[in-house]
Amino acid sequence: MIKNVAVILSVIGLVVIFLPVISGFQEREDLNELGADYVQGSINELETPNVVTSVIVTYRGLDTLGEVTVLFLATVGVGLLLKGNKEDMIKISSLELLETTSSVLVALIMILGIYIFTHGHLSPGGGFQGGVIVASGFLLLMLSNVNARISQSIMHFVESFSGVAYVAVGVAGLVLTVGFLNPGVLPFGKFGDLFSSGAIPVIYSLIGLKVGSELTSILVTMRGE
Amino acid sequence: MISTLILGIALLIIGFYAMLTRKNLIKIVIGFSIADTGTHIIIVSLGYLRGKTAPIIDGAVSMVNAVSEVVDPVPSALVLTAIVIGLAVTAVMLSFIVEMYKKNKSLSIDDYQELKW
Amino acid sequence: MVSPIYILVLSLAAGFMLSIFDKGGRRLSLTAFYGVLTFNLAVMVDWLYRLAFLHAPTLVINTAGFKAPISINLELGITEAFVLLLTNLTGLLAAVYLFKKFKESRVSSLILYLLLIMGVNGLVMTQDLFNMFVFLEILSISTFALTVLTKNSKTLSAGFKYMIAGGVASTFFLLGVVFVYYFTGSLNLGFLRAGQFTDAGMIALFMLAVSVFIELKPFPANGWALDVYQSVDSGIVSVIAVVNSAAIGFVFYKIMPLLPGNFLTVFGIAGVITFFFSNMMGLKQDNAKRLLGYSSIGQMGLLLASLVFTANSPANIRYLIIGGLFINHLISKAGLFWLAGIVKEEKIKDWTILRNNKPLLVLFGLFIFALSGLPPFAGFWAKWEFVKVLVDAKMFFVLVSVLVGSLFELIFLFRWFTNTVKEANSELEPMDPPGKGKAFSAISFGLLAVITSFGIMRFFYEFNWIQVLPILAVLVITLIDSLPSKVKGFLSLAALAGYGYYIYPLLESNLQLFFGVIFIVGSAVNLISTLNRKEQSKGFYGFLLMMIFSFGNLLIASTYLEFFLSWEFMTISSFLLILRGQKAQRASLMYMIFSTAGAYLIMAGFSFAPALTSSSALILAIENVNLPLISIIALAIGFMIKSGSLGVHIWLPEAHAEAESDVSSFISAILLKAGVFGLLMVAISYISHSPNFDVFYWIGWIGVLTALVGAFMASFQEDAKRLLAYSSMSQVGYVVAALALITHLGWVTSLYLAFNHMMFKSALFIAIAGIYYRTHTRTMYKMGGLISRMPWTFMTVLMSIIAVSGVPPLSGFGGKWLTYTAFITKGWYLQAGVLFFASGISFLYLYRLIHTIFLGQLKYEHQNIKEAPAWFIIPQYIFLGGIMAISMFPNLIIEPLNSIAMRYFSSSIQINGLTVISDLGYWNGNLVMYVTMAVFAVPFILLMLVKGRTQRVKQFNIVYAAERPESPQTTHVAHNMYAHYRKALGRLTLPRIQTFWNGVAEWAHTFGGFFRRVYTGNGQTYVLHIIMYIVVIYIVMGVR
Repeated sequence: MIKNVAVILSVIGLVVIFLPVISGFQEREDLNELGADYVQGSINELETPNVVTSVIVTYRGLDTLGEVTVLFLATVGVGLLLKGNKEDMIKISSLELLETTSSVLVALIMILGIYIFTHGHLSPGGGFQGGVIVASGFLLLMLSNVNARISQSIMHFVESFSGVAYVAVGVAGLVLTVGFLNPGVLPFGKFGDLFSSGAIPVIYSLIGLKVGSELTSILVTMRGE
Repeated sequence: MISTLILGIALLIIGFYAMLTRKNLIKIVIGFSIADTGTHIIIVSLGYLRGKTAPIIDGAVSMVNAVSEVVDPVPSALVLTAIVIGLAVTAVMLSFIVEMYKKNKSLSIDDYQELKW
Repeated sequence: MVSPIYILVLSLAAGFMLSIFDKGGRRLSLTAFYGVLTFNLAVMVDWLYRLAFLHAPTLVINTAGFKAPISINLELGITEAFVLLLTNLTGLLAAVYLFKKFKESRVSSLILYLLLIMGVNGLVMTQDLFNMFVFLEILSISTFALTVLTKNSKTLSAGFKYMIAGGVASTFFLLGVVFVYYFTGSLNLGFLRAGQFTDAGMIALFMLAVSVFIELKPFPANGWALDVYQSVDSGIVSVIAVVNSAAIGFVFYKIMPLLPGNFLTVFGIAGVITFFFSNMMGLKQDNAKRLLGYSSIGQMGLLLASLVFTANSPANIRYLIIGGLFINHLISKAGLFWLAGIVKEEKIKDWTILRNNKPLLVLFGLFIFALSGLPPFAGFWAKWEFVKVLVDAKMFFVLVSVLVGSLFELIFLFRWFTNTVKEANSELEPMDPPGKGKAFSAISFGLLAVITSFGIMRFFYEFNWIQVLPILAVLVITLIDSLPSKVKGFLSLAALAGYGYYIYPLLESNLQLFFGVIFIVGSAVNLISTLNRKEQSKGFYGFLLMMIFSFGNLLIASTYLEFFLSWEFMTISSFLLILRGQKAQRASLMYMIFSTAGAYLIMAGFSFAPALTSSSALILAIENVNLPLISIIALAIGFMIKSGSLGVHIWLPEAHAEAESDVSSFISAILLKAGVFGLLMVAISYISHSPNFDVFYWIGWIGVLTALVGAFMASFQEDAKRLLAYSSMSQVGYVVAALALITHLGWVTSLYLAFNHMMFKSALFIAIAGIYYRTHTRTMYKMGGLISRMPWTFMTVLMSIIAVSGVPPLSGFGGKWLTYTAFITKGWYLQAGVLFFASGISFLYLYRLIHTIFLGQLKYEHQNIKEAPAWFIIPQYIFLGGIMAISMFPNLIIEPLNSIAMRYFSSSIQINGLTVISDLGYWNGNLVMYVTMAVFAVPFILLMLVKGRTQRVKQFNIVYAAERPESPQTTHVAHNMYAHYRKALGRLTLPRIQTFWNGVAEWAHTFGGFFRRVYTGNGQTYVLHIIMYIVVIYIVMGVR
């Protein structure tokens, strides 16, 4: 009873806190200085059409590295928690129709995923989005085919490789150019080309691989292998 | 956009409400996810500029006037990070629940009070 | 010179690769793991050296090759380097501690741990708010996962609670960050200014700050943290409590400049409330790790409060306070958590097994002392300066909360300590030997505590070596502790002589010299009795010397801090000496609690005092200091606790009785005089700067009543040492009362009585020590007739009690004469009357003492005992010699005392040859002696003549009606000797003061028990607490 009252009071309190935010909200008309700098910089310095990608991969690259780390930590943490849950895995054999069609779909999904992370600097999307799509392909595979085996060690290898490669590209930026994670280690190419924007697509692809393998690895662990 | 801001805040509060009232561990985590999603919507709403488009320099946005034609790229970048982090936290929370269920065969948060005072 | 960005790079690379390395064997992955942790530490050592000693400018690292605010930048200034050095060190040592665990568990744990430490480094260095959020999440997720390093239902549920609490907090942090961006267009701390936030923008700062604050576990929104502290593996908990808290605390420190004043004040007060309540709730806790959890939370609250409230202090003081509290928390908390992992006992009462491992026991004591804020550890200096800051800022509510909270903390820590050292535990199971890694880490932190202490004393305060001498004495004696006890005893005597020789020229006045005689010479004579010790007595002489040197240092202390430092050293050493007694657990704890309460009052009193203008010793410099009333009251109460005045005396009988016999004499004869010395110091300032309120009039009454009650209580004791203890209380009551007269004659009297008491009480306690040594009992009715077996001791007791009672011819008579003269001259007739009555009572207990022990019949079991060993007899007769000397020639002492008092008052007595003349009459000690001798001789000769005709009665030759009582002694008159007086006094003899203090203790515990019920154990309730806390803070701050 007391608790219910407290809950209601808390919710009212939260409303009280947030109401002024809504009532005082003014939609901004123009880009602020920092945003404008990013748009300009993305065009002039990084020659990358997708400004969000420039911000994510380069300007706030340290965030992204951290973000990848967080995901990696989640993978490791889930692995540590759910180690050896074999006994209660439920196996239901699936229909052949489902298996066959899904395997076609899986391949298509994977290709879409790879497309999205390799084109992250040009179009909406990027490493995270692409990686998630790749992982969803594996998820479909696991759901449709109980016998599908996905090698954890390959996933771990891809994960480690892409992670280290990401850091290595970052360090290359520090050693060869002006700063950690600077994409200038590779030529910037022609604006709008697939092979352009310096190391940005490379980094984003590595992120894609890493995210894909990490999420898949989480799924495999949760599935109980 | 004020409408999305209100939606985001509503989701945030609904999520917290769920965390405070649901007894089932999984529902609590769902509550957390709802609140988290609300936060993400708030972030995007704050970055929106009236009548502007996505900050990608292609056919729709001219390179010269880009600055005056696109929305703020920063919140979009931030929200991506926030989403991924939210996902990571949720995954770990759910794994905790799996293990807790295995140990105590209960999903009610009231059954996990042995440590207190 | 390696850029700290490589800490992140290397940790990440190693983190990603560890699972591959692990395929090549655990040895490889462990090497990489420890290699990176060591690398981190080395980088920080290097940078701290550069920044602090080579004055390198703050290092700014721009990532991606762009300047902030375009890109994220990291900064490494001296503060960051300092925090990171300590956190990386703790991280490495905790990893060493966990070595075995890491060797056996999965490689995942290594990865999580490595990235956790990386997260800390990033969090501290980053200047970007959103980047902070990312690193905070790295830190959190790795911590969440590591909570289940040992997986069981407790760690799982604790971890889950931790996660949902952390989830809510980080949601608010994220919102705060985004709102900051929305309102200012920047995320970089270097570009954000408090002025950029308009009224509407306050919500951004509020969310940012409150979420960080929640992560720092404020009361009562911190139940989740306690569960984690209690259940999770000790190694990991040490990281959570110390490293994580430090990093998050640093985040708070970084955003502080943005916050408006009213936010900060609320946070500061919330921190103090956390400190106070955590420690209060800790009183009820019996689980070791949960107790440490309460203490950790409290310490973080204190740290936050100090961050807020020292904002306007000079930089070096601020660094000392915050840095000191931080280092102290870091070292002692990590150390204690590690010990908890080594001991493996959940309940505090089972920690007695630590006695099996002496080095670890010492380490345990060291951490407890450090955590309690005792010198020489960092927390002491921080607390001293913090109290001063609070007093200067007139924040009395905070001051009182901090001091009372600290006292609560000290109580539970010392209860734990004394229990571990002394609790009677029949089945002392052997302890598993600690792993090498575990022991290494704990010992390293013990050393670090010592090094930082010396660092602060040497480089911050630039103390003379003499101030450090008490500690050095302990260290030196520890080194030679394997020598036989007697050798150490003689060496100590030599050391004491050397010390006396050194400080003699430093004693500028007769007053110092007089107390020097009591403290140093008195101690030296008392020390002779310890030479009788047969057993090794490890540690004894170290602490004894520490105590005596601290007494001496009180005399020459020239600043408030030096005085207080010596005072605290004295308290610590005497506590440890008392604790050596066989059943001294309760007594020593009580002593420590009362002493610390007194010490806090003294600390506060000094903080209120105006600055000193002269560089001579404090006791002299204080003449020109105008102590404000509050300072006088605080100091007086503080010192009167040490001298055992009525109301705060209850530690006294326990401590005297339960200490080892040869320690009791030091406590009674000398330690109590330190309280008198302190009180005298207050009085000296009071003479020329008396406030409106006549404090000393009331102190006088307290002294008088102490004398009366002490005498009564002494009469009802069965235990010889308790009797002497109450007698000491009573006698010091006279000293205090006479001192409170604030007249020339009053002070002469007071010092005379003090000196006299020092001599006869030493002699009596040593005599009882000798008797105890032979009979193994302190219960008087179990003795009797010892006059025939121990005539030398009898002589001492006889002479001493004559000296106490004030009958001619011995020195006590002069004391009484002076007392009444002084009181009547002042016009305190009623007080004089009470004192007169009290002296009557003292005859009762003195008679009881000598009658019960020495007269009557010898008990069977004592038929063949011998006289006390010479080591006991020698000091007794030295003191007797002293008593005889000043009895025969009172001018030996009256003249110097006259001159001491004349420094402050014009003389009220004349000394004419051997005669002292006052307004009321005269006293010639020499003449009194001869007359009394003559009076004595007549009956003595008569008795000798009739001696042959006495008839000897066999022991217990009594005819009982129908039964033989089981213990015939209890039918003897010596048992419950003054029962009829007791009956007559009726309800007055109830131990009201004891009851009062018991009540206080019970109330504190009950409150603690009541408040901790908020921690229901339900994770959902904890979330509710957090959200309600946020709402309440929002309202209190008036964000809108």
